[in-house]
Amino acid sequence: MIPLPILLTALVYSFILSLLAMGFTLQYITLSVPNLAYATIAFASTYLTLTFSLMGLTPYITMPFAFILGGAISFMLYKFVSFLRDRGTSIVGLMMATIVFDLIIYAGMNIYADYLATVFKIYAGSFSLSEFDFKIFSLPAVLFVSGITSISLVAFFTLMLVKTKFGVAMRAVMENYSLASVHGINTEQILSIAWFFVGGLAGLSGSLYPIWFAMDPWVGARMFISIFAACVVGGLRSIYGSLLGGFIIAFSEVVVTYLISIYFPWVWAYRSVTSMVIAAVALIEMPSGIAGLIQKFRGGR
Amino acid sequence: MSLIDLIMDIITFFCIYAIITLSLNFQQGYTGIFNLGLYFPIIVGAIITAYLPGRLAMIVYGIDSKLDFSANNAVVVSILRSKLSSDPLMSVLLLAITLAVVALTCYVLGFLSAYPALKLPADYLALFMLCASESLRVIGMQTDWLAGGVMGITIINPFWWLGGFSYYGMSVFTILATVCIILLYQRMCDSPLGRLLKSIRENELTAESVGKNVNGIKRTTLAFSFMILGLAGVLHAFMMGAVVVGGYTRVDFSFWPWLMMIIGGTGNNIGVFLGTFGLVIMRRIMIVGKHYFWFLPFNVVWFEPILLAIMLMITLVFRPEGILPEKSPSIKDYVRRVLKLES
Repeated sequence: MIPLPILLTALVYSFILSLLAMGFTLQYITLSVPNLAYATIAFASTYLTLTFSLMGLTPYITMPFAFILGGAISFMLYKFVSFLRDRGTSIVGLMMATIVFDLIIYAGMNIYADYLATVFKIYAGSFSLSEFDFKIFSLPAVLFVSGITSISLVAFFTLMLVKTKFGVAMRAVMENYSLASVHGINTEQILSIAWFFVGGLAGLSGSLYPIWFAMDPWVGARMFISIFAACVVGGLRSIYGSLLGGFIIAFSEVVVTYLISIYFPWVWAYRSVTSMVIAAVALIEMPSGIAGLIQKFRGGR
Repeated sequence: MSLIDLIMDIITFFCIYAIITLSLNFQQGYTGIFNLGLYFPIIVGAIITAYLPGRLAMIVYGIDSKLDFSANNAVVVSILRSKLSSDPLMSVLLLAITLAVVALTCYVLGFLSAYPALKLPADYLALFMLCASESLRVIGMQTDWLAGGVMGITIINPFWWLGGFSYYGMSVFTILATVCIILLYQRMCDSPLGRLLKSIRENELTAESVGKNVNGIKRTTLAFSFMILGLAGVLHAFMMGAVVVGGYTRVDFSFWPWLMMIIGGTGNNIGVFLGTFGLVIMRRIMIVGKHYFWFLPFNVVWFEPILLAIMLMITLVFRPEGILPEKSPSIKDYVRRVLKLES
């Protein structure tokens, strides 16, 4: 029997991780450049949540601001990467460009944490905002908020891709950038908006994270392992696969590790490594991920 | 810190980073293997250094088996210090065994990690290695008996027998080891092997079509540079006198070396050497001089990643090929040109 707190942790974590994995994959598909700053962009907004909570406001009020913050950083990153790509910079150079942003945001988070500690005597190097959360049906509100946010954003994104002109144009750009450009699609505008939207998703996910989990400036680096694992398990270039991968990795990290830790308690401390083990096995045994398996199944029929 | 100590500190850190960046250049600059997880073998080297020599010395000297090297670290290290201070042979033997075990372990790990890694496209290989390194860091931090966990562990110094000069002894050994490694890399890169690696980097298919085992060569390259990086981990751990696995971060042991290589000139060992020298001096001065910024409401070390980011940005925009691009003239040619010795 799995205790309720473990189940709730797995659910909240899977909602957050799925959104992050989906965003990471989408950015990768659009430019073919893995954004190494993605997790750090997401967790920069946690300090926004902390600031609002310290002002006595509910942490959920941060969500729109976190969306804008994440979107704005992501947009700037896109402009920089796109500028370098137009100059013929190699894939290595473009990934390095994402590291530039990762470093600046990481340093910025630490400077802000130090500032809060020095000026306001608040230890912000490691914190959790679960005390600021409220209950709905005697369950933590973050469970409902993260769930509804994830489901509605995925639904919105799907509808946008299928039903709107913008979505069709975006799919065209994702399929073939040059061909879409030849057909008169404003690829630059489409990608700018896509990166803003995906950065916004990251910011939103990050703003919800400290309401349930403990946060420190290194969370981004650690969570990157889980995001990468979710993308590998889901399929390296599949948006919906990564969504599913997020759930698999989150439940493996929390529930499976918990079940193993009943017999081997020391395993619990290594739960973040579980995802890397799964990713390594997936890369060897199933390199195209769940999306590849589904495609194979469909083809077989 | 006296001026001599500061100079020694800069030289030894330069040596350690020179080993790391030259290994990176061997992988990326020469062979085209995009690896962001440089700190994986460095952590392995540091962990083995934290675990092995101290315990071996305990067995050799028959120290009370109830004492554990990790749990009773301060007591055991103090006993070992008194023993090793008068036993140079054993100290050197422990150093040699540690280096040999790390070299072998890292070579095998490099070889094994190449199997999943080489199946991937370049960008995902980089991510895979980065995540594997971060996972190893987590394992090291969570495992107290391995290297003291989060708090870290104090280790022996194989030059305690030099008395008050033990730090300098380790520094000189690091410098000598670095010179050997640099000469080895330079020799390999100037040999037909270097040209073969470059041909693989430029076009794998062509190299394969002339009968070269591209994956085998890549695997060996990765394993060899893993081995050298592991040795850098050993030297770093012995220089610090302690191992804190949490301190082996992606910024310090992966991103900084990447910047050093990119600024110096990818594919050019002399350029990489120059880039490393400049940045190590800048970093060490910044770390030593941070006390002068006491009035700021935050720790000034956080300027370090910002500075790194800005320099990386400037390099990528204005000089992506680095200070000394790959096809720049060799020192010999340059001197000839300056002295107008050309016929």
